[in-house]
Amino acid sequence: MTDAMLLAEALGDVLYTGAIGLILLGLYAMVVPRHLVRIVLGLLLVQSGVNLFLVAVGYRPEAAAPILLGGQAIGPVVDPLPQALVLTAIVIGVGVLALALALVVRVKDVHGTLDSREVAERMAAETGDSRLMPETAPGRGAAVPAREMLEDRS
Amino acid sequence: MIGTAHQIVLPVVLPLLAAFLLPLVGRLHVWPARLLGQIVGVLHLAVVAYLWTLVGGGETIVSALGGFAPPLGIVLYADRLSVLFLLVLSVGILLFWPRREHGGTRADTLTLLLLGGGSGLVLSGDLFNIFVFYEIVAVASYGLAASGGNAAGFGAALRYLLLSALGSALALLGIALVYGAAGTLNLADLSVLAPERLSGPMGLAAFLLLVLGFGVKAELFPVNTWVPEVYTAAPTRVTAILAGVVSKLSMVVILRLLVLIFADPGAQTLLLVLGLAGVIAGELAAFRAPDLNRTFAFSSIAQLGLVAVAFSIPDDLGIAAGIAVAVHHAVVKPGLFVIAGHWTGPIERLGGAARVSRPAAIAFVLLSLSIIGIPPFPGFWVKLLLLGEAFAAVDPVYALAGAVILAATVVEAAYLFRAAALMWEPPEGDNRPPAAFPLARLAPTLVLTLLILLAMGAVSPLGEALEAMAAEVGDAAIYVGNVLPGRI
Repeated sequence: MTDAMLLAEALGDVLYTGAIGLILLGLYAMVVPRHLVRIVLGLLLVQSGVNLFLVAVGYRPEAAAPILLGGQAIGPVVDPLPQALVLTAIVIGVGVLALALALVVRVKDVHGTLDSREVAERMAAETGDSRLMPETAPGRGAAVPAREMLEDRS
Repeated sequence: MIGTAHQIVLPVVLPLLAAFLLPLVGRLHVWPARLLGQIVGVLHLAVVAYLWTLVGGGETIVSALGGFAPPLGIVLYADRLSVLFLLVLSVGILLFWPRREHGGTRADTLTLLLLGGGSGLVLSGDLFNIFVFYEIVAVASYGLAASGGNAAGFGAALRYLLLSALGSALALLGIALVYGAAGTLNLADLSVLAPERLSGPMGLAAFLLLVLGFGVKAELFPVNTWVPEVYTAAPTRVTAILAGVVSKLSMVVILRLLVLIFADPGAQTLLLVLGLAGVIAGELAAFRAPDLNRTFAFSSIAQLGLVAVAFSIPDDLGIAAGIAVAVHHAVVKPGLFVIAGHWTGPIERLGGAARVSRPAAIAFVLLSLSIIGIPPFPGFWVKLLLLGEAFAAVDPVYALAGAVILAATVVEAAYLFRAAALMWEPPEGDNRPPAAFPLARLAPTLVLTLLILLAMGAVSPLGEALEAMAAEVGDAAIYVGNVLPGRI
């Protein structure tokens, strides 16, 4: 086995290790921090890790890019299908991330905070037991106009 | 029997096309855009009804898109199961079509995306296409969850998006594992290769990742924390569609995966455990829920847990029971969510509701009786089928599952009877009774209640059709033979 082949084999392992590492790092960033933008960035890390994993699945040592010239492959090529899948997954991921950030902006607008736990508490207060009869829960009267708006659009 | 009707692409293509046309048309005038959306909705139902006439007798439609033969090409596969859930989707969406044009045509566009993506989800015969359609459904549902324009709606939609997108990433990882082990993504091809290449711990890991991913929409334990938040904050029609229809489409995907690719005891036990956890957690949380919306959100989690338990029973009749629970829930729960969406507030304040609006209270009682499983309502036969299968299964763990389901039914009866009884009592103290129910708003509930009453008279033909359908779905060889003739 030549050095180049050994290196190519090792590259496959590095890809898998890197992919799993990115996914774990992303999971940590989604679970532990409370800042919404950090959570969204954690999601980005998970998606990148999964995409890298998918590319690694199609990796073969010493193979060329799957570009066929004149319909003929010159030597061994890496599996093109995972690459096509990753392309789709990246596009979907970008769309979802953009939507997530747009929602983060709206959440900051309406709740005035980017702390995920505070947002959850405010939501519980707004949709809680008191929304039909505000007089039972003083201080939560602001919940009612929002609820009316919601019913209006149902 | 194979047909190659190319109309099979219409349920996917028509709504997607309309969804992208709608914002353009809507810029000129709102009303033609809304009309276009509604026409496409009705057309979808017509196409689905036509497809049912093709597959209703047990035939199957397989369409290789672009003329590329499977397993390299992409196939759409329609049997009775797919078309049944297309029908549930189509009717559910038409019943809960956005009614007024707040925000122009946005809600209409998202609803059409949901319709097209959902159709693709049940028709796809290819794991990656399932993922893509699942994402379309997911993105449409994030938008719809936030479409109420209320503060809680945005927060709930964001938290739902984060969990669901994480789930999708895990599902994609599962797909990568499957592809790495088997080298194909065609469901039929995978079904042939699975016993050899996906039977070990690798296969189980892939199944776990796929179930966690697709389980987000199917409200499976433990990826269902978004359910109570979104169902209380989103507009009623969105809640009805998500709980009634979208969750079932994901369940159909999980069923296909289980039957075709992961038909081994490990995967079945996994699904059984997740399902039972959902039943227990859902019913207990529903018992303690402060208002009707949350009660039904948690009860919805429990009902989908029942579907998972039924699908995990390694027997065709288990599949039949699962389909029955799913369809029954798809009819009953949206009707109940309409009532919950109008009579919000603490359950204790429901006193006098029956005096204010008798039809709503009667519909509530009828639908509740059916969901608990009181004879002669269809819900009774559904639960009887499920329990019969659970106690008849070889593995004693299913008998335990049956006992848990019986106990859960008692809890279910306790909280639903409590709410129903309150409605017929006078308001407590100086409380005002709940707001009167406009009949237009109650209409979907009345339609669904009527369906339940009609089904009461047709229990035995429905049961026979269900058994035939389950026998067809449960046999992986039929699916493979239809998609890849000559591989069996």
